Parts: sequence; C-alpha cells; structure tokens
Amino acid sequence: MKAFEVGGTTLCLALFSDVTNSKELLDLMQSATLEPEVAFLNASLIPDVFPVLAAAHKTLVAKSRGSLTTRTLHSELVYNFSGSKHISESLKRCGIADNTSYILAARFGASADEMVAIEKLIKGNEIDLKELEQRINQAQIQKHYKISNLELEISSLADAITCRIAARDAL
Amino acid sequence: MEIKADGSDGSLVLIKQGAEARVFESTFVGSRRCIIKERFSKKYRHPTLDSKLTLKRLNAEARCMTKARRLGVVTPVLYAVDTVMHTLTFEYVEGPSVKDILLGFGLVGVDEEQMADITAQIGNAIGKLHDGGLVHGDLTTSNMLLRSSANQLVLIDFGLSFTSTLPEDKAVDLYVLERALLSMHSSCGNVMDRILAAYRKSSKQWSSTLNKLAEGAADSSYIEAKRKKAHNGWLSFSSSALYVEVGLVSMLSTASMKTSDAMGQEKPKNLLIAKTNLYLLQS
Repeated sequence: MKAFEVGGTTLCLALFSDVTNSKELLDLMQSATLEPEVAFLNASLIPDVFPVLAAAHKTLVAKSRGSLTTRTLHSELVYNFSGSKHISESLKRCGIADNTSYILAARFGASADEMVAIEKLIKGNEIDLKELEQRINQAQIQKHYKISNLELEISSLADAITCRIAARDAL
Repeated sequence: MEIKADGSDGSLVLIKQGAEARVFESTFVGSRRCIIKERFSKKYRHPTLDSKLTLKRLNAEARCMTKARRLGVVTPVLYAVDTVMHTLTFEYVEGPSVKDILLGFGLVGVDEEQMADITAQIGNAIGKLHDGGLVHGDLTTSNMLLRSSANQLVLIDFGLSFTSTLPEDKAVDLYVLERALLSMHSSCGNVMDRILAAYRKSSKQWSSTLNKLAEGAADSSYIEAKRKKAHNGWLSFSSSALYVEVGLVSMLSTASMKTSDAMGQEKPKNLLIAKTNLYLLQS
C-alpha cells in the first residue's frame, strides 16, 4: 500500500495479484454495501501509477465543483481512468469482472484502519506497485486506448494514456 | 475532504504572458514539474461570446496536441484540461528553444552537425503533422523546444492549430516559418532549405504543398512589386494604367530605357514621357 498526494488529499493504492474473490467484491460494490468504499481497477491496463493520479486529480476537481458524472467518487475514478465517455463500458473494462485476478485498489484519503480493512477484503497477494509495468497487457491497452505503434515510437504507454484521460472532455 | 479547485498542487510562477494566455510553472500531482497555460477572458468582448470562444480554443488546443502525438510528433504530455478555469496543464519540457540555439549559432558560428540534426527533425515533424491533416498555425523557432535529455524536438503551442488537408493551408504554415526564420535567423544561412529537404523526405504530399508555397511566394513578390511601383509615384495619377501587368511594365520600361539611351537625351524626363505614352497606349 502506498499513499500519493493529489490535489490536497491523498490517494492510497494497493496492488493485488491472484485475487480469488473478485465476484464477491463486484457484488458488494454493485449493491453499494462495500465498506469502506473503494475503487477496483483492472490492473493489467495500468503501466504506471501516474495516469491513475491524473485521473484522480480530475475526479477531485469534478467533486469539488459538484459535477461528478457517476454516482460515487470512486466509480468516477474508474470512469475517468478509462479515457472514454461511455460510462458502463468504462466500468466494465477498467473496473473488475467476476474472474479478474489482478486488481489495483484505490481509496481517497484513506486512514490506516481503512487500508487494513481493504487488505482484508481482498483475498489475494499484495505486491509492490513496481510490478505494474511488467504485468501489463499491452495489446489490450493499445486496443482500449487506441494507441498506435506510431505513437509509441515517441511516447511511453503511460504518457499516451495520460493524454487521453486529460483530453477526453475536449474531444 | 478539502480539495483545491484551482487544479494546482503547488505554487504558481508566472513565466510568460501573451495576448491570449498566461503561462505558469507549477507542480502536478505531487512532484512533477508542469506548465499551466491559462486563457484569460477578454474584457472587450461580450461575456457570452468570450466564454464560448475561450472554451472552443481551449478544447481545440488540447485536441490538436494529442492528435499530433498520435501522428508521431513529440508534444508535451497533456496532464489536465480545466474547462472552468480555462487552463491546460502539461509536462514541463527541460531544454532550450530552437530560437535560442539558432541565435547562439548566429553569435558563435554554426555547429553544422547540430544544425543538420535540428533542421532534419523540424522538417520531419512538420511533414508528419501535415500528412496527418494537422496544421500547426504558428510555426516559429520559439515554439520548438529541444529536450535536453534526448536531443528531441518538441513542438509546443497548438493554440492556432486546426485540421486541414488543403495544400494552401500547409503552404501557409511553411510560409510563416520561412518568414520567421528570415527575420530571426538570417545569419545562420539558409535554414529553410534544409528544413524543406527533410520535409520532402517525410511528407508524402510534399509536392502539392511546395508547389503552393512557390506559387504563394511568387504571388507575394508580385503583389509587393506592384505596390512598390504604385508607391514610387511614377504614374500615380493614372488609375487605369496601374492595373497593367507587372511583367509588361518592366518589359516596357526597359524598352523605353534603351530608346532613351540611344537618343542620348536627358534620362528621367524622357523615361517618364516614354512610359506615360506607353501607358496611355495601353489603356
């Protein structure tokens, strides 16, 4: 687990592999009974924490203006990370499904107790965030964010994703 | 949970102010150095029109920057777009502008190797933009940076960019650059030719664009010549004669010069008379 400073608050991130109870997590989340509230991201789409932080920044700005597009702060994070305007598709692709085993959990302004609770909630191995880069599914990322090989000649995957997250509403 | 609405995490330091925007340096999500470009409102415009225009241009700039990246042209990474504060936040690129490098060349002499590298990168980048249907709109050497770490050309300021596939638009883009080079870096030799050589290699549609550029250059010198003739006051009394083709005028004036030489008369007076006669004949 690691905390990052974003826009005056913190974003706590924890990475898990070999998660076995994703169906249970999904059910809890969809019935809005997840305690504490947390965002689950499909970690195979995340090459680096920076795009997540950019999405978090965007989420916090929207929250401060009372202009969230989705129902909760944490679902907004998943939606923003997708770089797409299609909400349900975004949550499906960048969130978790029944069989997802590799998950990045994120919570804004989490206390130590809450992070312990989250670690208990997820049945899997917590691994270091440095593993993100090696465990990506590059083909899936390129397809989802429409990143051509031409662009990758001059840009890293993380930068390409960040640009799409930032520019989504301008398109 | 307290959230700052200004979209910045650190202090703002003003670096530059232009007619359309202010540019600040700051930090983004904790530690990354970033540049914030804020389009301010113009008090002389109607508020509704002003906010619409500002928003439109803000979005267009974000779109064009990311489009350039998709075309394989290096631009700063876009971190955030704030449509309420009218700001764009992007990566801080560490390195000098091409303008400063070329001005340095003007002072201490041209480093041929670096010059070849820079002009090749510029031509290549513009070629890629144009082939992808993107026109930068403000190509000057101060809008090109050279990233120190990778010696990589980074194009900035897409505030005047637009998408177009017309050769005219692309030629104007190159023409703007040519003028900028002429006025700023004439001591560096012919930089434009080197850039165009690289442009030809990188752009598949170079031929139509360069044809338009040559046409445009001919057009503008034609117009300039016409204007000069008019301002010299030779025949400013005659309104119809002024519209005679410039090529014809020069031909006629040389002819009249020859006759005046042959006759050995006082030159200016004779020339004037000869020319006036010819003009009257014409009209």
